Amino acid sequence: MVKTLGWLTALALVVGLLMAFVVAPREVTQGNVQRIMYVHVPLILASYVAFVVLAIASILYLVRRDPAADRLAHASGEVGVVFVGLGIATGSIWGKPTWGTWWTWDARLTSVAILFVMYLGYLLLRGTIDDPERAARYCAVLGIVAALDIPLVHFSVYWWRTLHQPPSLMKPGGFTGSASILWPLLVNLLGFVLLYAYFVARRVRLLRAEAEAVP
Amino acid sequence: MSYARRALAVVWKDLAVERRSKETLNALVFFSLLLLFVFQFTLGADRERLAAVLPGVLWLGFVLSALLALGRTFLVEREHDCWEGLLLAPGDKSAIYLGKLLGNLLLMLLVEALVLGLFVVFFDIDLSRALPGLVVVVLLGTLGLAAVGTLFAAMTANVRARELLFPVLLLPVQVPVLLATVKATEALLLGEPLGAVAHWVKLLVAADAVYVVVSLLTFDVVLEG
Amino acid sequence: MPDNWSFVAAAYALTAAVLFAYWRRLAKKEREVTMRERSNANRSRPTADRSRLTAERSGSTAERSGLSAERSQEPSRTGHPRPDPDSRHSLQ
Repeated sequence: MVKTLGWLTALALVVGLLMAFVVAPREVTQGNVQRIMYVHVPLILASYVAFVVLAIASILYLVRRDPAADRLAHASGEVGVVFVGLGIATGSIWGKPTWGTWWTWDARLTSVAILFVMYLGYLLLRGTIDDPERAARYCAVLGIVAALDIPLVHFSVYWWRTLHQPPSLMKPGGFTGSASILWPLLVNLLGFVLLYAYFVARRVRLLRAEAEAVP
Repeated sequence: MSYARRALAVVWKDLAVERRSKETLNALVFFSLLLLFVFQFTLGADRERLAAVLPGVLWLGFVLSALLALGRTFLVEREHDCWEGLLLAPGDKSAIYLGKLLGNLLLMLLVEALVLGLFVVFFDIDLSRALPGLVVVVLLGTLGLAAVGTLFAAMTANVRARELLFPVLLLPVQVPVLLATVKATEALLLGEPLGAVAHWVKLLVAADAVYVVVSLLTFDVVLEG
Repeated sequence: MPDNWSFVAAAYALTAAVLFAYWRRLAKKEREVTMRERSNANRSRPTADRSRLTAERSGSTAERSGLSAERSQEPSRTGHPRPDPDSRHSLQ
């Protein structure tokens, strides 16, 4: 089960990697730097999946008090934070040659940065509470508050950046719609979502085993 | 005891404690004065720059005071071994949340009024046109901060590194409130009517509704143990 | 625009490094848990409650059986509520 998932993931990622460099063309305006998008975008999108799963698992835990739901929330949060952090880093590496800067406070970057810090806080809360049952409860509450906050963050940041403000000068990374760019992107997206699932599956299994092992 | 009576009992108890010790209030007042002096030292001379950063500086003062006040919400219960008393309280524990929220609101609004007054005096700001709109924005923003802040204060009351964890958890979640209040204050201080910032006000109302409802629903869970 | 291959390499290398490091961390923790289980099983073998044996997945050794029937009251190391001991699964 988990092993099969692992092999499927590896396959998807390898194919995706090949496609990113062989199938995908050299982009017209940005040059080969655009190839970073084939890891950056899937990482971010996969992290969104992680946080949605975290929200659902948190609600499930509060309703059913099932430790499995709590383990899923924990694992999903962990992998999500890794992915979104990596996504921000790769985006920054892409941004330096294309935008000329490592960081800019545009709407999307700001929102993702806030997301990162929120879920880092989630992991921190987990880390500081010793009692397992209380940790599960508190983190579930935090997970729900964070999830409900996300649309509010999105709108406030978007309005902050677009209202009474000149639109940002460059719209890089825009989609040309050509198949040779779309397919590598999709394959890598699949690969990273599978990787998320694989990591979560292993992490959940590990959490379960750790909880069962008599200290 | 009815729900409302229990909530008010919490408010009354906290106010009574505060009135006798005045610990939190003193800390907040002195902190605000410190903020005022520091801003005067760094920005006082340049009137234009001051006017530009004033909304942000004002809300920075509000938020930092809020962190101080909210972080101490359950200090009395924790320090005097009354935490179990909260856990064992009969009936709907969200009444406790409401009481704590009201108490925090009163304290925060008091300090904010003081800070605003000091700013007006020391930086010579004309509030005549902006004041009604400002009151609305400050009320809504403070409610947003206090709503989640009270919940998170309960959650972090008994954990390690509480003083560090509380702001780390609260501030990212409060970004919508911070953005909305600062941008609205900015517009109001520039002389715009409240209608011009209607979208920010609507966001604040929506945020406040979400925060209060979620906190009411989940406070029982937090006080299970 | 110049190609900036160094940036591309940096991004891919960082991604690979971080994901590999996380994967290794998982593997390491799994090994630790397996070793802890083994030592627990060895320690509690005389008092092992055979009726608690669950159907093991194929390939696992008989060593991994006979875990103490008692649920410890101490907080578990992960900070998660303890699962029901009847439904134990083995770590591959």
